[in-house]
Amino acid sequence: MRLTDQELAARKRRNLWIAGGLIAFMILVFLTTFLRMQRNMEEARAARAGVAAEAAR
Amino acid sequence: MTDAETPPSDLPERPTLSTAQPEEWFQLLKPRVMSLVVFTALTGLFAAPGDPRLWEGLIAVLCIAVGAGAAGALNMALESETDALMRRTRGRPTASGRVRKNDALAFGAVLSLFSVTLLGMNANWFAAGLLAMTIAYYAGLYTLVLKRRTPQNIVIGGAAGAFPPVIGWAAATGDAPWQAWLMFLIIFLWTPPHSWALALYSAGDYARAGIPMMPVAKGAKSTRLQVWLYSLILVPVAVLPAFVGLGGRGYLAVSVAGGALFLLLAWRLFRSRAGDQPDKAEAVGREAALYDVRAEAKPARNLFAYSILWLTALFAALLIEHLPAAGLECPTCV
Repeated sequence: MRLTDQELAARKRRNLWIAGGLIAFMILVFLTTFLRMQRNMEEARAARAGVAAEAAR
Repeated sequence: MTDAETPPSDLPERPTLSTAQPEEWFQLLKPRVMSLVVFTALTGLFAAPGDPRLWEGLIAVLCIAVGAGAAGALNMALESETDALMRRTRGRPTASGRVRKNDALAFGAVLSLFSVTLLGMNANWFAAGLLAMTIAYYAGLYTLVLKRRTPQNIVIGGAAGAFPPVIGWAAATGDAPWQAWLMFLIIFLWTPPHSWALALYSAGDYARAGIPMMPVAKGAKSTRLQVWLYSLILVPVAVLPAFVGLGGRGYLAVSVAGGALFLLLAWRLFRSRAGDQPDKAEAVGREAALYDVRAEAKPARNLFAYSILWLTALFAALLIEHLPAAGLECPTCV
């Protein structure tokens, strides 16, 4: 099947947008994971501090 | 018959690739609806108790917006044939054939999956479940089942548009208390007068497409009465947040003054003859079809246009009162 110039140009633009969308999704997943880990570490730290304070009392 | 005589229609069609441009794919997401969804979801997110985390909140709202857009794409894919019959919607990418139905379906499905998954990972799976249910409700229950079967289609289906503030609240706290459902109720009750005002001056379109909107199924007079009755219920409900600690004095002013004007416009519509005559046939194009109407249908157009403004003002007032800069406690709450 031979594609017309218009079809080729549209496919190229579409592929670029799909690539951009996937990269944005990857960044968002990375950012989400990072933020969740940070929150979990903060909570764990606060819990440890609470246990230590309880033990000291 | 020889090969040379074979009619062209019998020849296998050359497979083609879509030549749709990114802007046309973006139109599938119904950007105008999406902007209202973003706005109401943000309000739900900030109105929820606790300190909203900026990045997590922004990602949550992005997910809700993309989820709403995905539902819009699925709706356009499933309604491409009927959209092509209506002036207001015939320019849509799927109705005009610029984007193929199956492509739009795949686009909507992929975006649904991405948005729900990311919201679950970012916020919580309760909010993600609500988003998934909203998409299914709009694309499945409303588009495939209700829209063509009952004049109550937008009453029941309107719930899909009312979920974003609840999802926003759930994304922030992991639950959905009655305050979130109060915001849901405002949008839910707002939808019938808003949609039927539009339907009153585009009933011909709906009749051509075989959609039993209220003016088509029950007539203009009954629709005007129902718009008036829904408005009488909506306005007190819209004022309610100011008395339960959800909204402050600014919200009270917007809801009371704006509500009074809403009632005035609904009353004028009730007393008018909007929808009694067929809608203006010469109005062509999406924008013209929305606002270029017969003189007697102007009360319907006025209520339709004002309803968007008032809902936006209500949620803007709530949002401003709950912005983090204002502190966790609403400073103007009565």
